[in-house]
Amino acid sequence: MILRRTQYELARRVVGPTLLRLEAWQKARARSGRGPRGGPFGPPLESTRKLKELLSLHYLAGRYADGAVPVAWVTSGFPVELLRPLGFHAVYPENHAAMCGVQRIVPELSDAVEQQGYSRDLCSYARTDLGSVVTGKTPAGRLPRPDLLCCCTNICQTVLYWYKALAAHFQVPLVLVDTPYVYGEVRAHDLPYVRAQLEELVAVAERVAGRRVDPEELRAVTVRAREGSRLWGECLATSRARPAPWTGFDGFFHMAPIVALRGGEECNAYYRLLRDELQDRVKRGIGGIREERHRLLWDNLPMWFAVRELSTLLAERGFNFACTSYTNAWAEAGVQVDPADPYGSAARAYTHVILNQDLSNRLGILRRLAREYSCDGAVLHSDRSCKPYSIGQVDLRERLARELSVKVLLLDADHSDPRAWAAEPGENRLTAFMESFG
Amino acid sequence: MSAAAPGGAAALGLDAGSTTLKAVAIDAAGRILARRVEPSHPRIGEQAERLLAALRAEVGGEPPVGATGYGRKRVAAGRALTEITCHARGAFALAGRPGVLLDMGGQDTKVIRVGPGGEVQDFAMNDKCAAGTGRFLEVILARLHVPLAEVAEQAARAARPVTVSSTCTVFAESEVISLLASGEPLEGIVKGLHAALASRTAAMVRGAGEGELLMSGGVALNAAMVAALAEALGRPVRVLPEPQLAGALGAALAVLGRSG
Amino acid sequence: MRRAYIERQRQAGRRALAVLPVHHPRELLTAHGVLGVELWGPPGPPRGDGAGRLQAYVCAVARNALAFLQAGGARAVDGVLFPHTCDSIQGLAALAADFGGVAGRTLVFQHPRGGARPSARAFALAELRNLSSALAELTGAPLDPARLGWALGLHAEIDACRAALLDGRARLPMDDAALYALLRRGEWLWPEEHLAELGAARALLAPAPVQRGVPVLVTGYVPEPAGLLPALAGAGLYLAADDYAAVGRRVVRAVPAGGEPFLALVERMLAAPPCPTRGTDQGERIRWLVGLAERSGARGVLVHVQKFCEPELFDVPAIKAAFAGRGLPVLVLEGELERELSGQAETRLEAFGEMLRRAA
Repeated sequence: MILRRTQYELARRVVGPTLLRLEAWQKARARSGRGPRGGPFGPPLESTRKLKELLSLHYLAGRYADGAVPVAWVTSGFPVELLRPLGFHAVYPENHAAMCGVQRIVPELSDAVEQQGYSRDLCSYARTDLGSVVTGKTPAGRLPRPDLLCCCTNICQTVLYWYKALAAHFQVPLVLVDTPYVYGEVRAHDLPYVRAQLEELVAVAERVAGRRVDPEELRAVTVRAREGSRLWGECLATSRARPAPWTGFDGFFHMAPIVALRGGEECNAYYRLLRDELQDRVKRGIGGIREERHRLLWDNLPMWFAVRELSTLLAERGFNFACTSYTNAWAEAGVQVDPADPYGSAARAYTHVILNQDLSNRLGILRRLAREYSCDGAVLHSDRSCKPYSIGQVDLRERLARELSVKVLLLDADHSDPRAWAAEPGENRLTAFMESFG
Repeated sequence: MSAAAPGGAAALGLDAGSTTLKAVAIDAAGRILARRVEPSHPRIGEQAERLLAALRAEVGGEPPVGATGYGRKRVAAGRALTEITCHARGAFALAGRPGVLLDMGGQDTKVIRVGPGGEVQDFAMNDKCAAGTGRFLEVILARLHVPLAEVAEQAARAARPVTVSSTCTVFAESEVISLLASGEPLEGIVKGLHAALASRTAAMVRGAGEGELLMSGGVALNAAMVAALAEALGRPVRVLPEPQLAGALGAALAVLGRSG
Repeated sequence: MRRAYIERQRQAGRRALAVLPVHHPRELLTAHGVLGVELWGPPGPPRGDGAGRLQAYVCAVARNALAFLQAGGARAVDGVLFPHTCDSIQGLAALAADFGGVAGRTLVFQHPRGGARPSARAFALAELRNLSSALAELTGAPLDPARLGWALGLHAEIDACRAALLDGRARLPMDDAALYALLRRGEWLWPEEHLAELGAARALLAPAPVQRGVPVLVTGYVPEPAGLLPALAGAGLYLAADDYAAVGRRVVRAVPAGGEPFLALVERMLAAPPCPTRGTDQGERIRWLVGLAERSGARGVLVHVQKFCEPELFDVPAIKAAFAGRGLPVLVLEGELERELSGQAETRLEAFGEMLRRAA
């Protein structure tokens, strides 16, 4: 235990940073003589190097986490602030699955669980994660085994089915936050229910961690989480400028810390750095793409396996995604947590995430984003793997087009399984969409 | 037992598949005396009668008929059984031992675990779209103007397979056209198509567990597919003699009252 | 026929609600004098203006229901009740409530997930009272607590009959087609009439087994298309134990004693068999299924799921593994709420029958 703890701390604080610096130096040497990111894009963000360092360290430390500190596997919409004071190392399977999506190893991992009888029609994140558990394959080197599974249904019910399968596999406790869906306004009994569940789950987490939540530390974590969300919001808001200083697709990668490291100081330090760089680019008129002619809104998760191809296709024609409803979600919920009332405010904040509210609310958010970011078009990614995000898009498309007089495209794909994306006809549709702007 | 003379035909077996019709005549020892294979016509009942009449004329007598395949109920037969049971029996008779049977036909891919008596222990079939079947290859190869007879040679010539990620027939069609347009070699694409189908099929095969892997069905005649499967699975694939006839043989054996 | 029946019920002073799958407090509807008419689809390809409002990768139960309601299906009733079953039905409720196209009032019922935690009990109670207020608004009359006590007793009797028929399946001289037609009439008949029919069937139970087919346990969503049942019989099989979400999974066997009627209703809800749509633990569900298989003497397991139905599909590997370990063959059959059973599905059932009979 003590040895394991030492390894974990060493990985986090000493070995990891040294290795990363070495790697960066090697890459810089290999790169020397080549220019920066060229083509239709603006100069690359300096902060990206720091982002990679931050995430690599997180995953590197994770390799040594089990046995050293309690480990929790956590859904992206779970109130992780409550776990931090107990010293949990939090693993985000969705985040990890996105990484597998970028590296295009989802088909291989999915095949492994399809053999066991999991349908290919199930969410590709779930198939990826379960496939990684079965095969042990991961771009992170190794994922630490969970002591606790933490699931919140505010993003979908799928995570519950998925985490139940994990619970059966690992034979560890699963704590659930069941968030009643909000039609219009929350009802009198909704938030007390969520709050009661938070209290129930903390009792379980305390048992697993072998210690009690220190209220002072909980308050401090809540302050940092709220600050992190606010900073992330400031980063996103820089894109209201013309040209936007980065692309909406850049945002998909830079959102990792607010999802996976929320509540930690390193997360906030990173976003201060990023915000300053973005604000500086705005002052100097540097855009995410060289020639910004049109600004679009993106709805739903990205297609992780095709982000590079799609952003190039768009940038070459002067199109940028100035905002996405997905990255925006992490700027809206977290700012509602309140250090004076960590439980009650978490119940409120986590019940009001975009996917747990009705379609009128969703339409309102899309309308507001399109206006604030001066978008003249929108792409709604109809994501085969994500029912809650995709149901209603046929109506949303029609409403947005009519109410805002903008062009809207419904694009069929998947967030991480390339086998559900017809690249040729899909890119054709996007190109035809862009041509329609004249 | 049949009224046929000793040494003559003891039973007829008909496999009325969606792509091809297969019929055999066997003797009392289960040996194939005569066979017929034809592409299926829409009027499958009439076609089957004609095929059986031709077999009867060849072998003589009125041996009982066992039928299988999706058209089995539209044929006057002494016994009608599913192609799953019949393929297991036929394959067991041809191989002489149990194993895992992969049958790839035009519309269906089946994986059957065949027990020590030729019985079905477990089975799985592809879902209803054409993604995992012989039809997938047929459609795309036709689009590429590659005759089936040249497929194996083309694939063998390829230095490396070109990755084809879609196994949806519709998606894959547009994918291969764009691969060709971007200058990828035809041989590599043909090889890549087989690899994509093999990877999808391999998942089904692995689900059936260990045991010698036997292969039947029309696709077993495609050497490129057999090679791609062996590579995807990392284990040898034994193609049964006359792989297209396993179902018809099983149907004939069933009416004969023999299991293998 | 069903439409005429609903019309007669409404003329007799009752209100009618179309109810989406799966779990909802039928006792409460009955107590308010509201006829629930469940909407499992209907089968067949979705038609009309609503057919394209949901993407093709959403399950047929949700897609067909939306098309049906939008084509005027909701005109025969006073409103639609959406239980919070899964992401798709919840999305459907949001679509109907916000963007319209569906006539009548929209009611929702959110059952708690994840077992009988204290928070879940309190929430279920509040949710039931909330639904009761909405029903009172619909009928224009407040709930008479005595009527709820009466409705609880009525539904307990119905469940006792259903349990007797399902648990005594081998001794019931009825084929699957007739039995399921009877059980599924409970999806729309006024409960007292349904109880009378169930009671008549219960009287037919013989002292010794009369079924001659190979007994099979079924688990899954809904026995559609209806052609499945004759096809099973044709393959020499019969359903000896039932865990369909639409049928056996809603039969509450342990009947808690009286007490305050809302509290008793909460206990009844929590005592229902394990169901993935209510977030039951996988191990608990497997133990339940194994128990059903053992008690019924099932020699095979049919897992009958709907394409894209995540709550059911996620449990399939665990079910397969559990029964493989016990030597019981499993057939997974996936449908899309077709009007007729596909030829391929029929072949699978027949092959399954051939396999089980040979093993016998």
